[in-house]
Order: sequence, then C-alpha cells, then structure tokens
Amino acid sequence: MVDRLGTIARDLGRMLEALAGLIFVSVLVPLVWGEFWVVPAMVVSGLIPLVVGLTLRRTFEHAADPGRLHGMMIAASGWFLVAAFGSVPFLLAAWTAQLDPGMLDVPARFTVPGTRTFSTLAAFQNPLNGFFESMSGFTGTGLTMADNEAALPHTLQWWRSFIEWVGGVGVIVLTTAILARPGSGSLTLYESEARSEKIHPSIVSTVRTIWWIFLLFTFFSILLLWIAGMPMWDAINHAMTGLATGGFSITDNSIATYGSAAIDFALIPVMVLGSIAFPIHYLVLQGDLRNLYTDLQTRWVFGFFALGTALLTAVLLQQGYYVTESVAVAGVVLHGSAATLFQTVRYALFQFVSAASCTGFQTAGALGSGWTAPAQLTVAFGMVVGAAAGSTVGGIKLIRLLTLVKGILFRIRGVFYPSDAVRTFRLDGRALSDTEAAQEFEEAAIITFLWLVFLGVAAFVFMLAIPMGPDAYTVENVLFEVASAQGNVGLSSGITGPGMPTVTKAMFLFNMWIGRLEIIPVLVLLRGLFSTLEVYD
Amino acid sequence: MRLDAIPVIGPLLAAGADDRVFDALLVLGPVVIVAIRLLGRTPVSLALAVAYTVGFAAYILSEAIR
Repeated sequence: MVDRLGTIARDLGRMLEALAGLIFVSVLVPLVWGEFWVVPAMVVSGLIPLVVGLTLRRTFEHAADPGRLHGMMIAASGWFLVAAFGSVPFLLAAWTAQLDPGMLDVPARFTVPGTRTFSTLAAFQNPLNGFFESMSGFTGTGLTMADNEAALPHTLQWWRSFIEWVGGVGVIVLTTAILARPGSGSLTLYESEARSEKIHPSIVSTVRTIWWIFLLFTFFSILLLWIAGMPMWDAINHAMTGLATGGFSITDNSIATYGSAAIDFALIPVMVLGSIAFPIHYLVLQGDLRNLYTDLQTRWVFGFFALGTALLTAVLLQQGYYVTESVAVAGVVLHGSAATLFQTVRYALFQFVSAASCTGFQTAGALGSGWTAPAQLTVAFGMVVGAAAGSTVGGIKLIRLLTLVKGILFRIRGVFYPSDAVRTFRLDGRALSDTEAAQEFEEAAIITFLWLVFLGVAAFVFMLAIPMGPDAYTVENVLFEVASAQGNVGLSSGITGPGMPTVTKAMFLFNMWIGRLEIIPVLVLLRGLFSTLEVYD
Repeated sequence: MRLDAIPVIGPLLAAGADDRVFDALLVLGPVVIVAIRLLGRTPVSLALAVAYTVGFAAYILSEAIR
C-alpha cells in the first residue's frame, strides 16, 4: 500500500513541477503588458507547487513504476491537485489588489470598491472561486466565476486560456495513451490494423506528437481568427480555448461581444478541429484525408453536428426568435425570410457546434431565458453526447452512443435468429469477438449510466439550493447547466456565477472533475483512498 | 543535422509527421504572429496571415491528391 502511494506521490510531484513551470513561463505576460504588480503573485504561485513537487518526487524517487491502476489514480488525483494549485494565481492576484502594497502600484480600478472591475477580481479572494475557475480551466469546461472577463488583468486572462489549452492536450493524452483500455471506445477504434491507436509506441513520443499537432493548429487558428477581425490578443486567447474546446473568453459576453458573422464562422473550424480524434489528425496531416470519412467517429462528428444544427434551426425558426428584417453578408444585403433564415442558421450552427464540441462559446445571449425549452434541450443533448473520443471534447462521446445504439439493435435483431446462429457484432467495419463486443457494450453502458446518475444527483442538489419557479430558474435551466458542467462544456443558462450557493459550487467542482476523467478513474481513486484509510473496516 | 539535435524545439519537430513544410509552418507560426502584432492590421500583415492559413490548408490538400 505504501509502495502504491509512493508511486502516485512521485508522479504527482512531477505534475506539480510541470505546473510550476507553466506558472513561471506565464510571468512573461505581466512583464509584456506592464502589469508588474501581478509578478510577485505569479512567482509565489509557482514556488508553492515547485517546492511541494520537488519534495514529493525526491522523497519517493525509488517507488515502483506505475501500472494501470496507478494510471487511473494518478490521472484523477493529478487533475484535482493541479487544479487546486493552479488556483493560487487567482487567489494571490486578488489579495495583492485588496491589500495593495503601495510599492506595487496596483491600478485604482482593482482597488476602489463599487465597480464591476473591482468586484470581478475581488471575487477571487474567496479560495473556492479560484479553485472553481482553475478546475473549470484544467477540465476545459469554461464556466466562470468572473463577472466581467474583460475587466480581469491580462495575466489572469492568459492564465485562464493557458490552463484550458494545456488541459486540452492533457485530456488527449489521457484518452489516447493512459486510459485507453478494452471497452473505452478509443482503443477499439484505433487499434485495428488499418490505424495505429497510439500515435507512437511510447507515451512520451505520443505526447510530443500531440503537442506538434496542437501547436500547428493553434497558430493556424490564431491567424484565422485575426483575419476574421479579432484583435490579436483576443485571437490568441480564443484560438487556444477554442481548439482545446474549453470556451473561456476574455470578453464580457463571450463571442457575442463581437457581433460578427465572420468571427462566428471562423470559430466553427477551430471548434471542429478540437472535436476530431487527434490520431486522425495525425493521419490527415500525413496526407491521408480519407480518414475524415472512413473513420466512424469522424464521419459521425460531421453528421451529428449537421443533424443537431438542422434540428435547432427548425426549433428556433418555429419560435421565431431570430426574425430579422435585413442583414448584410459579405456585401450582400438579405431581406425578410432570407435574413431570418441566415441569422437562425448562424446562431443554431454556432451554438450546436459549441455545445457538442463541448467548447461553450456563446453567441446567443438569451440562451437561458429567451430560447424555448426544446431549443435548450436540443443544445443540452449535444452537450451530453459530445464528439469524438481521443479529442479534447467532454460528454459521453459519440462512439459510446453509437456502441449503445448498435448494441441494442444487435440484441433486438438477435431475437429473430435461431439460437444456434453465428452472428458477428461489427463496429467501424471491424468484427468484434463476443468478449470484445461485451466489453465495449458494458463500458459504454456503465459510463452512460453513471453519467446520468451524477447528472441527476447534481440537478437534485441545484433544485434544492437555488430559487426555482416562474420568476426564477426552471428545471430545463438546471438540467442545461448541470449537463454543461459535467460535459465540460461551459454554456450557461445564467445560474453559474460568484453569487451561487457554496454547495452548488462544490457540486460543480465534482461534476467538472468526474466529467473530464470519464467518472471511473475518480471512483477508482475514491475506492483506493477509502481502502487505504480503512474506512471499510 | 538531425531534427532532435535542434535545441528546445528539436524533439518536438522530430515527433511530427516527418514533413519539412509542416515543420517550417510550426517554426514560422510564432514569428508571423509577432510580426503581425508589431505591424498592426495592414495590407502586408493581412497578406502574411492569409498566406500562412491558405498555405497550410492548400498543402494538406496537395498532399492528399499526390
């Protein structure tokens, strides 16, 4: 037992050292923007995980190598710990402004109470708010405790984007290399002879390749958004959070702030890039474009996005929410029903892709209060399902939905065959043995079941803790918000904010955490902890 | 010279798709972004950004056709 803990502690130490490196690199941002008053907060924030990490790694240097069980426990505890230590920059920056040592020259807008700028930063004096923001970032969720993101210091704007970006790479590594196992979807999909499941045989080279792809796509996305009209700082931040399908924004009203169809459409390919499994990206970058339609998940990413957009467009058209007299598109002025159709498709496409890719960028300001329940639930369905395993998205993943649907049809059809008939379950053109098929179906069913159980638990907690009713929040608002948190999406119907009850913040911290790790590793960790602490004895 | 012998970014480039064009785009990306930030929104900077993004997409297509 001690040996197991030593193995975990050593790897957690390495993670904390890496986190310290990320924080120290980020000190460049306050230096470039002249926010020198944040520098001490960032340096101290980096020193804390560095010291703890070094201590853990050196103390348990000779612990055994990690096995599969360790992998799950390290991933679950690591995500939690990194989010906890990653919250320190928020906390220290907020308290630096509050205590305002004269020599640091903190701008008055952060120190004089009574403005939104002051209250936005001051909210992070509460450690729970900082932890929420950090967990939201590292899990790629995008729900925020910041009232006005545009009012945050550039350093914290960067830190929020940076942790989502790094968390995005983390989850790709997690699903393609660390947690890939029989029945986890990604393994079956990419282990076939036609494709290589692990981009490279070792995790280290896999991580490097993922970074290679991620950096290329990031530069491409930054420039694409800049061409569409975003200022460069905004383009850098939104490209990072869009590609990581995290959804943190540096503006007060997310992407709605720009009111630009060009920016809306430019973000679609960025979010789609984040929704496709990275092993497929690697093959495409080697010139094998066929994978975009021969790969089951990728084919279905496009199909799911198209179907969801069509359904949402129909619902919104019926509601008449985007009735528009005229709109100018690339120099052409559309009138009447053409203008209404264009605006409806624009908002439906963006919001469904944002939801199903689990990004959480918002262009529809009144999504929670103005859209009808069917429209909200269509978006919520996209958030629950998500897109491809092996990408940066959350949710239960398309492959599990497809496995469940195909598995159910397979069982039902089986009734009509003789009992001694030999039948083969096929997934993505690959024939699975009875054992493989059972593992795939079982895993998909278990994760979907647990996903819905925790969704229900959180919804119940919220309905007890927040005001409900015609003049307050509705059940669909609650389901929408909980699906958003657990699916690591970040779209909000207006519930999430620094003023929400503490119990709901704690609940969402748990939802975001289990959602990112696909639940089972967290349950394994908790079981391991209870066992170690002899809770059962 | 081997790719992984290049300081700092060498191991990253070596882990890529063994393609000089993509490696060049990876190295040039931050240079182009900084240049555009310094130039502001001008015809020259716009041409730079368009050249990078269109070049990236066109190269993937050309590789697929080849």
